[in-house]
Amino acid sequence: MTFTKLYDTAAAAVADVHNGATVLIGGVSRTGEPTALLAALHSHGAAGLTIVCDFSGWDGSDSIVKLAADGRIARIISPNPYPSASGDNLREVWNSAGVAIESVPQGTLAERLRAAGAGIGGVFVPVGLGTRFADGRETRTINGVECILESPLRADFALVRAASADTLGNLAYQGAQRGWNAVMATAARITITQADTVGEPGAIGPELVITPGIYVNRVVHIPPTGEQG
Amino acid sequence: MTADKERLDRAIIAMRVAKELPPGASVNLGIGIPTLVSMFVADESIVFYHSESGVLNCGPLAEEGSEDIDLINAGGQFLQSVPGMAYFSSVDAFAMIRGGHVDVTVLGAHQVSATGDLANWMLPERGVGNIGGAMDLAAGAEKVIVAMEHNDRSGNSKIVEQCDYPLTGQGCVSLVVTDVAVMQPTAQGIVLLEVAPGWTPEDVQAVTDAQLIIPDTVAEYEV
Amino acid sequence: MPPAKLNAQAMARRAAAAIAPGDVVAIDDGLPTLVPDATSASLGAWFLGNSGMLNDIPLSQADAAAVIRGGYVNLAVVSAAQVDTTGSFAGQHPPGNAVDLAAGAHRVIALLPRSDDVGASNIVPALSSTPDGYRCVDTIITDAAVIDVADADLTLAELAPGWTADDVRAITAADLSISPTLREMDFTPSNGAPPSKIYPDGPSALADLPDGATVFIDGFGGPGGMAHYLLISLRDRGSRGLTIVSNTAGIARVVSFGTPPGRTAIDHSVLIENGQVAKAIASFPVSPSVSRPSEFELAYRRGEVDLELVPQGTLAERLRAGGAGIHAFYTHTGAGTLIAEGKETRNINGRNYVLEYGLLADFAIIRAHKADTNGNLVYRGTSRNFNAVMAPSARVTIAEVDEIVAPGQLDPEEIVTPGPFVQRIVQRPQGFTGYE
Repeated sequence: MTFTKLYDTAAAAVADVHNGATVLIGGVSRTGEPTALLAALHSHGAAGLTIVCDFSGWDGSDSIVKLAADGRIARIISPNPYPSASGDNLREVWNSAGVAIESVPQGTLAERLRAAGAGIGGVFVPVGLGTRFADGRETRTINGVECILESPLRADFALVRAASADTLGNLAYQGAQRGWNAVMATAARITITQADTVGEPGAIGPELVITPGIYVNRVVHIPPTGEQG
Repeated sequence: MTADKERLDRAIIAMRVAKELPPGASVNLGIGIPTLVSMFVADESIVFYHSESGVLNCGPLAEEGSEDIDLINAGGQFLQSVPGMAYFSSVDAFAMIRGGHVDVTVLGAHQVSATGDLANWMLPERGVGNIGGAMDLAAGAEKVIVAMEHNDRSGNSKIVEQCDYPLTGQGCVSLVVTDVAVMQPTAQGIVLLEVAPGWTPEDVQAVTDAQLIIPDTVAEYEV
Repeated sequence: MPPAKLNAQAMARRAAAAIAPGDVVAIDDGLPTLVPDATSASLGAWFLGNSGMLNDIPLSQADAAAVIRGGYVNLAVVSAAQVDTTGSFAGQHPPGNAVDLAAGAHRVIALLPRSDDVGASNIVPALSSTPDGYRCVDTIITDAAVIDVADADLTLAELAPGWTADDVRAITAADLSISPTLREMDFTPSNGAPPSKIYPDGPSALADLPDGATVFIDGFGGPGGMAHYLLISLRDRGSRGLTIVSNTAGIARVVSFGTPPGRTAIDHSVLIENGQVAKAIASFPVSPSVSRPSEFELAYRRGEVDLELVPQGTLAERLRAGGAGIHAFYTHTGAGTLIAEGKETRNINGRNYVLEYGLLADFAIIRAHKADTNGNLVYRGTSRNFNAVMAPSARVTIAEVDEIVAPGQLDPEEIVTPGPFVQRIVQRPQGFTGYE
């Protein structure tokens, strides 16, 4: 028997995403977005989802827009729910679909995801003081600096996109693809990867693995089409 | 005092622990008997070894003469380079442990309490000890298995009602495999699951400080 | 007729003129993305974008947040919709990275949208929405002026070509003081280059390491990943009263780890036997063998050194926290043990956690495989261990490397420690081994 995390289809890989699940999505740009997994999630039909995603690199992709428009998304947690590139397009999509929007500072989201992946119960950081992100929050002065307590953000699923994977789930990215994908891969109970290339163990050198396979449950090989670049 | 019956050797303990590793599990093995466990994992039951030194999917020890000082396990032993490994820093190594991504850890112990407290980092008479990664593994691994001799060199039971050595973690041990028995600590006390060949539950109780909960049927240690 | 307003490129050029050699500059989405192209490459600036790219080096968002929150950003250029007289601002695409940049950067420049695009003053007595950055803006650059913010006062410092102070006041809702040195905007790009990070040898790299310093010392335990040459250099320098933070307190000398016969492994013992260490913070401080005590254990028993014992993962996480601007965090490691005594314990979702604090140091001496002259580092195998964690958390990080290469010679995907975390680089002398 050869152990593999490889799934034949995106549909099989997302088949157990349940209604009401919290789902991390690694990107919304052409290189970082798990397009096939999102399409499969749409076909799968799970609804009432909480989506965690940074839309700042949004380039017109409609994967998440379709999920929202068809009533699958209850809530979006994002540092950039209304990116400049969208004008007011995404605002209108979220509003008309009745999606609740929770804005969160970018670094805070990153640290909350990392805390979830690393078993941290909470972090005290001097970020967001004097802003609405400090309202009603527990604060404490440490070393003379006022800090806010931020809690881990754990998810049920992460849908990530990698440039390359091996059958053990080791991942490597290309450029800015690393940004959210690498931290989100650590923070979910089940991490599902859409990889442009998949090889046997050893296909990615041990120094070049960014997400070790311990974080990755499933890998789907989706060769990029021309338009996905 | 210690019964005269024959005890199992370290390899048999390791062999019994190996049966507890589910296929595909991420496993961290401590030093001593736990290190032997990897020798007894069936070829078809692939598990992935994690080491605090900063490597995942690590393989066997290096052959003499081909040691690389930049490829070690947590015990400082040199490893072979095998396909599928991943290197990472100490903070990532421990994020994996503390974040619950290591499924099973196998550790040695000075004492285990009936409720699963673990003491394995310090002998009080030395006055100073090494924690290393033990507390992180005790707190972070999904399942903590202790593999050890049932009694210390003086014959004292290492299975106790309450640890009097400094703790590594509270209520963290889910299975104890010794040279005479397999036991499961629970909030109600420690349950005897299996005995070594030739041993009766009464024999095991006779060498154990903690009061054992003895079910109607206790299997013989399967190896 | 009102004077012509600056175009976006001119505003970016004015912002670029504020960059000093070697600065780490965080670039917000929108107008600030024009700044890198307006900057001379010889300046050696590091641009951190919201995507997590640090020049051509990809960072995870957690690492990018750590660069910002850890205090490594000299200058942030943010996209503001409005700025008030106290220097609070509302971001143009909130919250994005604005909240982090406001809190973490040493200096904040707010680039305002061109006023023609908005039709009302963006510089106001009070924001019309809640702030993303609270009292953090140092300089406002608009399409007509440069305005300094200090002590809840706005001072008109520079005018776009053709503009007068009255012109600017006429389109500004907030009150403006006039700088006595009011002048026309200067678009001259900054010049110069950052100082070299390459030091000729260990003694020169450690020459300012003072008595009483806190020093991170890398390594896991064995000979791999330890800066043996810098350890010997630190012994020779003789700084005393040191607090050393390290996984072990020197066990390589008493545990073989493949030491060749007749040789002695170099480890922390060289500092301890020289009387330089006052305290160790470590997870594995003593020999695993009672019968072969290390120099540290002997000194500890003589009462000459203090020990703070820390679980290994807590040590790693405390080091990361220090470098990532996390002042304290809760961990379940050590709850209910001696380690938790005297510390705050908190039940979170039914589990007990211990509050632990970030660690910072004056110096870190670390070991890497290769560096480029910008300070980017790659490691080899498991010798990455604590090296990569310590580099961001020390004021001065000194890397001992096998080889120094030119910029561009390291694959950006393989760089583990980006250059801003490394202040000094020393090449390990040819033939130097980890043994005496």
